[in-house]
Amino acid sequence: MYKYILQSVENINWLAVASLVIFFVIFIISALWAFLSKKEFVDRMANMPLEDDE
Amino acid sequence: MSQVEKFHYDNAIVKKFAYATLLWGVVGMTVGLLIALQLYIPALNFEVPWLTFGRLRPLHTNAVIFAFVGNGIYMGVYYSLQRLLKARMFSDLLSNIHFWGWQAIIVAAALTLPLGLTSSGEYAELIWPIDIAIALVWVIFGINMFGTILKRREEHLYVAIWFYIATWITVALLHIVRNISIPTSMTHAYGVFAGVQEALVQWWYGHNAVAFFLTTPYLGLMYYYLPKAANRPVYSYRLSIIHFWALIFIYIWAGPHHLLYTSLPEWAQSLGMLFSLMLIAPSWGGMLNGLLTLRGAWDRVREDPILKFMVVAVTAYGMSTFEGPMMSIKSWNAVTHYSDWTIGHVHVGALGWNGMLTFGVIYWLIPRIFNTKLYSIKQANVHFWLGTLGIIFYAIPMYWSAVVQNVMWRAFTPDGFLVYPNFLETVTQIIPMYAIRSLGGLLFLAGVVLGVYNVWKTIQTGNLVANEAAEAPPRPAAAVAEDKSHWHRWIERRPIQLLVASFVLVAIGGLVEYLPMAFIDENVPKIETVTPYTPLELQGRDIYVREGCLGCHSQMVRPLRFETERYGEYSKSGEFVYDRPFLWGSKRTGPDLAREGVGKLKKSDSWHYNHMLNPRNVYEQSIMPAYPWLITDDLDISTTASKIKVLRQLGTPYQEGYEEIANEDLAKQAGKIAASLRADGIEQEGLENKEIVALIAYLQRLGVDISALPQAEK
Repeated sequence: MYKYILQSVENINWLAVASLVIFFVIFIISALWAFLSKKEFVDRMANMPLEDDE
Repeated sequence: MSQVEKFHYDNAIVKKFAYATLLWGVVGMTVGLLIALQLYIPALNFEVPWLTFGRLRPLHTNAVIFAFVGNGIYMGVYYSLQRLLKARMFSDLLSNIHFWGWQAIIVAAALTLPLGLTSSGEYAELIWPIDIAIALVWVIFGINMFGTILKRREEHLYVAIWFYIATWITVALLHIVRNISIPTSMTHAYGVFAGVQEALVQWWYGHNAVAFFLTTPYLGLMYYYLPKAANRPVYSYRLSIIHFWALIFIYIWAGPHHLLYTSLPEWAQSLGMLFSLMLIAPSWGGMLNGLLTLRGAWDRVREDPILKFMVVAVTAYGMSTFEGPMMSIKSWNAVTHYSDWTIGHVHVGALGWNGMLTFGVIYWLIPRIFNTKLYSIKQANVHFWLGTLGIIFYAIPMYWSAVVQNVMWRAFTPDGFLVYPNFLETVTQIIPMYAIRSLGGLLFLAGVVLGVYNVWKTIQTGNLVANEAAEAPPRPAAAVAEDKSHWHRWIERRPIQLLVASFVLVAIGGLVEYLPMAFIDENVPKIETVTPYTPLELQGRDIYVREGCLGCHSQMVRPLRFETERYGEYSKSGEFVYDRPFLWGSKRTGPDLAREGVGKLKKSDSWHYNHMLNPRNVYEQSIMPAYPWLITDDLDISTTASKIKVLRQLGTPYQEGYEEIANEDLAKQAGKIAASLRADGIEQEGLENKEIVALIAYLQRLGVDISALPQAEK
């Protein structure tokens, strides 16, 4: 699919390639972010909406 | 540990937005019910200009999106933001300017749209002075939100706030880019984008209005209110991080799926389809995260109407975010596009996701800020069932109608002719579905009215806690050194970085799609026979825009045999270079009009005259509104010069100084049409000065340019 898209916009290859790369980078960073966060931190964040409950 | 600070949450502003949500919800849905009825009882258009379907449809969509859901967003944000940040809103004054400014905009919209003052882009119909007001009020909302974030007592920003921040910056970007235009008067302007480029910008905007106005802020609300109502934390905070980044990045690319098989270049269509399919992953990640939050609490869903509303909302979100990508697959889109499938789809989203979540939040929130209990759990349960049944009775007839109509549109005889060459046959067949749909709408609205009553009774039993006491330690002055080990906290704690990162992500998608369209000429091949509209056609076109004709009539023949057989030559991107606004439309309640002025579809001037006077004169079963005022009202030609001038500034090749003599050409052309009408026996005083003549000129122009091209070059 990408190959096809790239072929049909010859002059802007770099745009499409850059977008693909950016998408993967974002995804990897957000996944790393999510899974490398410490459990205590994640638990504290997850409980934040419940903190003000009596 | 520092000393605990005492402060107060502002509940008064939350109350105001909640009331506005309910008020505009009832108004928007009542208008929706009326236009649903108009679709099979044309008499309900009352032959009054400001009550016709074409003008009321944008009022309905704008009221539901920007008034009902808009106020719902602010209600939910103003309550949750204060508590998640442990701080009162930055400025009570800004909160109130935001509130009253937004309501003023809604009132202005509710007045101008029925008056026919529209710029025609779907969900971007409002005229330029209102657009500017929206931008200003949005900026005030932003200052108030960021002011609160900056003075917060809580170091870290909960994921709901990320969604609010992304919403704010993206909607600002979308609104500004979509509405860039040059005014010709205080109430009219021509956009800087034309034709296929405007189409791309429109659906980049339109799709992301769904994404960043109806979805991301409500996801923020889901991440706050669902844990609150279920009294347990979100299933996976980690998943919510991935959900956020993947969703905002992918969503922005999906717009071209509204333009499949149109004259948009293939590569842009494919890109839109691909990203739409990818959207299933983050959308369903978010939906599952919401539903799984209830793990171990499903027994409470049976008891608690608030959780019921939220479960149906999140389920509807899941259904419509599965359906959307499926509809983006080209072969399936060929069926759903222009049909009622789209209408069913958006209502699963609007009634199910936005409507049900809004009421879940209202039923949770109102008793809290009024320090009381919900007046009637039973009534809330009845509301829930009315709402749920309403959605079912709405959506299923729409899907059915889409299938029936498609089967009829596509039916060929063994000899290769259309079985139903008269479009109207395919309309009368789906009238029963329209009737059932309006019943669905009535059920949903009845539930909403009951909900309003329940809320009203609830507030009578309590007292508003306008300033709710709270306390929290102040935020540490500087970032604590131990956090350095967690690189991601660089962004997590810093709203401005989050804002910039969100902006960059959404900007990339928009730019990559738009730039090639703007700068590569082959994407819009020129067609030599395509020329600018004559002054009379231009005025007629603006009447077509004013009456909202594109709500029911597309002007885009797709390269599919059953379409070219019915309408003629398929549409080319080069045909639209002078079209401001572009009028491709996205729904065919009536037939496509792209080839109305040529070939077998061409009608006489007098046919159009009689048809506009009352469509039932021509087709007994027609459901189109009558437009008698076009026959009686004089065309306003005082605007011709400024329109020509602005169009030339934008690149339409009218000669220098043409605006001075344009009305002479206009009168000549009007005289010819009036003569042809008289020749057919239509006697009316001052016929050449009437609006109908301009509209006929425009309709007779449709498709003329491309047919003038020698066959070999098509």
